[in-house]
Amino acid sequence: MEHETLFPLLCETANGNKAAFAELYKLTSPQLYAVVLKLLKRPELADEATQDAFIKIWHNAGSYQRGKGTVLTWMVSIARYRALDLIRYHNLRNEVSLDNEAPQLDESSNTVRMNTEQDKLAECLDELDQSQRQAIQLAYVNGLSHQEVVNHLSSPLGTIKSWIRRGLQSLQRCLSL
Amino acid sequence: MNYLKEERLNALAAEYVVGTLRGKARLRYQKLLMQYQIVGETTAKWEEYLVGFSDGITPVEPPHGVWEQIQHRLNHGNSTKPVSNVVEFEQAKQARWRYLSFLSTAAAMIFAVLLVVMIPVADEEISHVAVVNNADNTPLWVIEISESTMDVKVTSAFAAITDKDYELWMVPENGEAPISLGLLPESGLEHLATNAILLNGRIAALAVSLEAPGGSKTGAPTEVLYIAPLVSV
Repeated sequence: MEHETLFPLLCETANGNKAAFAELYKLTSPQLYAVVLKLLKRPELADEATQDAFIKIWHNAGSYQRGKGTVLTWMVSIARYRALDLIRYHNLRNEVSLDNEAPQLDESSNTVRMNTEQDKLAECLDELDQSQRQAIQLAYVNGLSHQEVVNHLSSPLGTIKSWIRRGLQSLQRCLSL
Repeated sequence: MNYLKEERLNALAAEYVVGTLRGKARLRYQKLLMQYQIVGETTAKWEEYLVGFSDGITPVEPPHGVWEQIQHRLNHGNSTKPVSNVVEFEQAKQARWRYLSFLSTAAAMIFAVLLVVMIPVADEEISHVAVVNNADNTPLWVIEISESTMDVKVTSAFAAITDKDYELWMVPENGEAPISLGLLPESGLEHLATNAILLNGRIAALAVSLEAPGGSKTGAPTEVLYIAPLVSV
């Protein structure tokens, strides 16, 4: 889907094709909206972040560089950074229930990114230590700060920082093999 | 600290993408992103590494009003009126505000007409605007661009630093080095000539750097202070 559909649609969007932009929105907005809703928790802010992200995508479609990642990664990153800006701007504190909100990978939803690289990524994520993976997920998926992860996992700040740092280093080592 | 040392850069990029790099550290990293291509490349690598976490989130269809608002904000045709999410019991309160809003709009229009009568009308239409905000989101410079003129207005919130100048830069979308657009005024309103590249180039953003008197000696920004999107109107 990425190479067959999203890239041509983004190219058309860069040329000002509104129909292609609408199709790009239709195909990707559920993924982007879910990501920012998970980060922001508040639907009205998720609406705002999604709008801002797609407006930026419309204006910057021509600046996408294929060598720097997939179209979907590029789009998700734009939406995530906007959501992180809103967290900072509104000074949002992330309070999530560990029982209900501990992020779980939903294999059935992974319909967009299916290739060897993604398989490798999934393999490397699986190899992470459980505590490292959980700390990174809480920060990346739920938008928690170091201190909020501390509150969530009831471990000292130094331990949390270490889990995240070492988890990221392990991920990089695994992916660069 | 050498931010560009590979190990250090990887650690910063990873935490930037994860979102745990916050506050002034995040802003400093965003400035590095504008300055160094290697920072952008490392960030993109980490975005690709970590996006697998997002794949695991079950997609959620956004409300219909989101798309309508996007079309509305982009001024795309065929957009229907944005859906209001306001519940009914709020409507009476809103009616009062609409009335006040109508009055203030009418007053603004009368004022605008008076201005048109009193002030010579510029020949050219403004095509782009940018507002340069500080870290607290307070506007410092308001920039209006027409085909030949770039009007730069300094706001009252701006406080100049002695022995330093502020230089405006255009940051190309293609990741190439920023292009200087000249020194910014530090008070009042200044009319500068529009650099054609602002109208014809593909622009990621405008940036303002702090420089020694006279501007950058190297042709590159010395210390990027602020970044502002350039919006077409």
